[in-house]
Parts: sequence; C-alpha cells; structure tokens
Amino acid sequence: MKYLNKDIKEINKLLKEKKIKPIDLVEEAFDNIEKNKDLNAYITLNKEEAIKRAKELENEEVDNILFGLPIAIKDNIVTEDLKTTCASHILDNFIPIYDATVVKKIKEKNMIIIGKTNMDEFAMGSSSRTSYFSAPHNPWNKNKISGGSSGGSATTIAARDVLFALGSDTGGSIRQPASYTGIVGMKPTYGRVSRFGLVAFASSLDQIGPMTRNVYENALLLNAIVGKDEKDLTSANKDDEDFTRLIGKDIKKMKIAVPNFFMSEIVNDEIRNKVKETIKVLEKNDVKVDYIDVKYIDNAVTLYQIIAMGEASSNLARFDGIRYGHSYENPKNIDDLYLSTRSEGFGEEVKRRIMVGSYLLSGENAKVYYNKALSIRDDMRKELKKVFDKYDFIIGPTTTTTAYNLDDPMDDPRKSFMDDVLVIPVNMAGLPGLNIPIGFDSNNMPIGMQIIGNSFEEAKIYQLASFNIYLQ
Amino acid sequence: MSDVLTKKEVLHVAELARIKLTEKEVEKYQKELKELLSDVEKINDADNYDDDILIACWEDNTKLREDKPGEMLSPKEVLKNVPRHSGNYIEVPVVISDGEGA
Repeated sequence: MKYLNKDIKEINKLLKEKKIKPIDLVEEAFDNIEKNKDLNAYITLNKEEAIKRAKELENEEVDNILFGLPIAIKDNIVTEDLKTTCASHILDNFIPIYDATVVKKIKEKNMIIIGKTNMDEFAMGSSSRTSYFSAPHNPWNKNKISGGSSGGSATTIAARDVLFALGSDTGGSIRQPASYTGIVGMKPTYGRVSRFGLVAFASSLDQIGPMTRNVYENALLLNAIVGKDEKDLTSANKDDEDFTRLIGKDIKKMKIAVPNFFMSEIVNDEIRNKVKETIKVLEKNDVKVDYIDVKYIDNAVTLYQIIAMGEASSNLARFDGIRYGHSYENPKNIDDLYLSTRSEGFGEEVKRRIMVGSYLLSGENAKVYYNKALSIRDDMRKELKKVFDKYDFIIGPTTTTTAYNLDDPMDDPRKSFMDDVLVIPVNMAGLPGLNIPIGFDSNNMPIGMQIIGNSFEEAKIYQLASFNIYLQ
Repeated sequence: MSDVLTKKEVLHVAELARIKLTEKEVEKYQKELKELLSDVEKINDADNYDDDILIACWEDNTKLREDKPGEMLSPKEVLKNVPRHSGNYIEVPVVISDGEGA
C-alpha cells in the first residue's frame, strides 16, 4: 500500500487513527529511493536512525500535521552524528557535533530525516555537476540536469520519493532546480530562517527554504522552520504566523509587475509564451499586470559574482586541514598543510571562485569592486522596493531555458552564473521568491514561473501561487 | 588587453587563496580567471546614484546578543573531527623553522 502519494491531511488522519505508523512512511520512502537509485539524489542515507526514530514515534501522540513524515536535507545543512559533506572531498569524512537550527526545529515537529541530498560542491554551481559525488539526474528525463545547487533535493521531490526537502538559495539554488524539475521551491526573505548550521557560502545572501510537490505543503514546512534565533544575529525578529492562511483566497484587483528584462530575448520563446499565457489567465481574473523597467536588475549577475565570490573566499578560508575535514598526509610545514589540503580537497569550480574572490578582496580591489558592488546592490534594492509601493508582486520566468543535457560542456566558467540571471536579483535585495511549475516545453520538460513578494510577505506569495489556474 | 592572465598573475591569485596549482592547472586558469575578471569589470559600467552600501538585507534585527557564558562543547566533541591531536591538544606541523630567528 502506498501512502506518500496521498493528500497530507489524509496521511495525518491515518496516523492519528493509528491505521498507519510512521515506520510505514519511512519504509515507503526508502523503497522509493532504492527504486530511483540511479537518479543519484542522495549523498548519505540515514536508514538505521530513521527506522529507529519511526519506531520511537509509535508511542507518541500525533501532535501536528508534519508528524512522522520523512524529510530530505540538503547536505550543506549540518546534522548531528550524520555525515555532512557539502558534496566536497574536503568534508567527506565530516560528522557534525550539533544540529542546525532548522534541523532542531523539524525534529521538534517529529519529522524523520531520511538522508542528505546531493548538490553542487559548497552550493557553487547551477547544475549540481560540481558535486564530488557526481550529479543527480532529472526525473523527467534522466539525461538532463536537475539544476543546482539544491539539485538532489529537487530530484527527490520531483521523483516523489518523499514529500519534503530543505534546500538553500544563495543565487537561485532553490528556485532554479525547482523550475527545472517541476516542483515548488521557496527562498524566504533574508533573515526569515536561521542560517545557524548552514555551511556558509555567501553569508549576506544564503537562505534556507522548503522544496515540496505543492504550495500548501511548502507553506507548512516554512511554518516549521522560521523564527528568530539567538545563534544567528541576522535572523529577523518576527512573530510566528501561519503561512497557509491566505491560500485559496481571492486575488482579484491585485497588481503585478513584470520587468521587461524578465521577458527579453535572453529567455527562450517557449518559456516566454507559457508565462504570457499565465499572465492572460491572471488578467481574465481581474488581476492588473503591467510591464515595467526596473533599473539595475540587469547588473545583478555582476554584483553576484563580486559579492558571492568575495564572501565565499573568506568563508572557505576555514578549511585548513587542522580542525576538521580532509587533511594532507605528510605536510613539510604549516604552509604546505594549508596549500596541499585545499588543493586536494576543493574541486575546480570552488577553487576558481575562491581565487577570484580572494583577488577581489585583496588590497585596493576591495574598494574598487566589493564596496562598489555593495553600493549598487543598495541602489538595486531601493529600486525593487519602489516597485512594491505600487504592486503586490513581481513575476516572470524562473529560468531562461528548461533543463539542459547532463553531458553539455562545462568549459565556460560564466555559464553557471548566467543560468541564474533571472533569480539572482531576489537574493541581492533579500526578498522572498517562489518557483511554481506552469507547464511543459515541447520536449516535455517543466517550465517554472517565479513570484517575488515584498519582504516578509511569503503568505501573500502562497496566495497568488495557489490560485487554481496553476493547478490545471 | 590580453585575453589571458600571465602565469605570474595566476600564481599570485592562487597564493592569496592558499591553493597550490599544478603547471597544467595554471594554464587552465590563465584563461578562466581572465574571463571572470573581465566580467566583474562590468561593475564600472553601472552608474550608482548614492554612496550608501548594503552589506546584507537586515531588517530591525541587528542587535548583538548579550555577552554571557552559554552552552559549551566538551573537548571530546570538539576533537571528534580533528585530523591530528594528542590528548586535548590539536597537532600542527612546525610553524617556526630552525635557525631563521624571530
């Protein structure tokens, strides 16, 4: 008997009535994962522990809707006593000694961690092909990428192994793979979710978020992971709220802006047409849609390259072969230990990014590049904020193409940035953004649309996202 | 302007990042790093209208936590992932070599 394909409320009811037990769900999840093994969605499975936890939960009261449900965690979020590799050789023996705040929170909800998902090494990439453990495959077509960097989480949801996964999004790494695999992925407002225990890539941009098969379940998982955290001083002091509360509510008279840049010739025709179709349906339902120019959004990739590579070079300086992780065997001296450990431990993409980042932050360059980028970033945020004075949402395609082939060349270092050209502005401005599937291209690959809201308006984003046109 | 970095420039950048490169890698990165560094030059094409900077999108929450002792990790936990240690000490290679004076 299959349960994980049922409505979540029904699963919860069955658990409450003791018609099924958490172990049934856990066994089903591992059966699915085994059946889909060739998708390479996971780096580490947590089988023994998950089964043990499921049995313990048999004696506990079913106290919330997420109780007993299996969840997959991206492998850059630390889990106590469960290997966390960031898909890197430099951490392939790393067993964290504490749980990330989000992990603590999902454990408090009695969710069951099923495993750690594949990703780009240190979340640096757009196709998960920089993983030390080789890339995950797209369930819609195994010769295609799942996107990245949260490619494993997207894959396991799209394959319906489990209902819930966590990803992280620094420059589109939740929304872009969600688009390529036809699932729902939310990058919450910067500060909404604690970053404590998320292995830092670019600290001013990183944010953890939920990846799910539908909008309602996405909002439920966001409910579980938000909140002020003493251990992350950038986490926002906001009251708890129910992110499902506006789902299904009327969207008449709402106003939406579509930046012309999002519909320019950088986006392929099929995707543009699909988004236009969606816009027409919205207009028919009395939603006002305007095409507007937003200054600076076409600079977002350049800003991202400077800020993300700069911050990454600083954050990844901690990998020294001394305190944890891979360590070079026979160093001649301390410098040799640093240099050789890092040369052996990091992959090509990571090396390239931290070299460029170190250069951008060195000496006078910090002023010429990094400070200038922070200044334009501020201007860009002000421009985006202005849009929300007049409009409820910004929408557009999530990606410029659908998922491409796994064996496409990887010799252009710019490619991984350009794949995220439409999703990066959101991170720059700290805004919340959601991908929802809106259809398929002629090769039967999913097309996604992003809905961007004003800061801390995730509930409103879910309201638009749940509008029943998307469910058809 | 050349479309590659010189070997010396690549080695300088690698040194900043504490990464050792093989001869083959140096050649590869001569082109790739140049491409990325030309990309970031585009920052100079963007006009900005004020000098404010945005380090991160914090909203009303930049309060530091109180400076008081909290939970601590035990040495045993801390040492769990340390590649080389002896007792409660973390081992590192010799930092100061003989005869060079301070």
